[in-house]
Amino acid sequence: MKTIFLFAAMLASAAAHACPGLAVEDGWIREAPPGAMMTAGYARLVNTGTKPLTIDGARARGFEGVELHHTVVEDGLSRMREGRLEIAAGGSAALAPGGWHLMLFGAERAPAAGETVRVTLSCGKHEREFLFTVRTDR
Amino acid sequence: MRAPADSSQTCVNPKARAALIAASVLVALGLGVFTASQVYAPRTRPQPESGVVLNQPRPLADFALVDHEGQPYTNAQLQGHWTLLFAGFTHCPDVCPTTLSLMKQLDARLRQRQAPLDYLFLSVDPERDTPQQLKKYVTYFSPAIRGVTGTREQLDALCANLGIAYLKVPGASDGEYTVDHSTALVLLDPRGRVAGYFQPPHKLDTLASDLAGIVTSGT
Repeated sequence: MKTIFLFAAMLASAAAHACPGLAVEDGWIREAPPGAMMTAGYARLVNTGTKPLTIDGARARGFEGVELHHTVVEDGLSRMREGRLEIAAGGSAALAPGGWHLMLFGAERAPAAGETVRVTLSCGKHEREFLFTVRTDR
Repeated sequence: MRAPADSSQTCVNPKARAALIAASVLVALGLGVFTASQVYAPRTRPQPESGVVLNQPRPLADFALVDHEGQPYTNAQLQGHWTLLFAGFTHCPDVCPTTLSLMKQLDARLRQRQAPLDYLFLSVDPERDTPQQLKKYVTYFSPAIRGVTGTREQLDALCANLGIAYLKVPGASDGEYTVDHSTALVLLDPRGRVAGYFQPPHKLDTLASDLAGIVTSGT
């Protein structure tokens, strides 16, 4: 157990230097309805740095996988596209219902509203961990 | 033998005759225009801000689905009340939960305004969405929402009839798939006919007052 904490602490300190300038505001994960195999995570991603950032992957504690998706509506059809999200220096990007979002799947145990989930976003070779709150809706 | 009466004797005078002809032509023209306006452009309904209301509601062919209690759900269940329908599936992390949350909020608003609607979540993924699965899923959002699904054949026919579409799309790994689907909310009138469509992004306030207007005016 001690080693796990130590490892987590090391990871956290290492992550602090990664994805320079990336900040997450109001990160939240929709509480999955019973029986739902997947859910979505939303946030406002801010690039406070001086270089553009590309978010190209994600993972979350307690979930088998996380994909960065974009819901697009073409010819009245809603489609999900996996993608990379670029954020200009000094800019921001919204992960919001009906648009870009994190798709989280394969939960070991579906977290309930009020719990927090550790979400790691990657940008190239770097990655950084953030806390997302689980809630029912906005 | 009398010569046939000439026009000057039977009609009042050529001037009056010309006037009469002109008048008849005008009346005929007017009638024609009126008829055409009735045939080609039935009275246009006031259009809501957030969607489109059909001038002529479109009847649905007979369909047979099953609801989340395992009970039959057919055209008969659409009679006597307005219904708002959304087609999706439970393995849908973004648009479907967002829309079902919206339905829950709409239900609260419209009850306050004495304009109740029925809410239907039509699953176009019957392989994974069993009635039991649908029940857990929709009632989590609101007891006012009813989940329905059916065989592929039934769903294909009904969706075509509703004017909505869906497409099963293979995923990255074997057996995995997702479903592209229409995002429109379909409004059905108390005779079970398609009455209108509402497209996202939905604004709760506008949608609620549009629907309340339609439902209470009975059009």
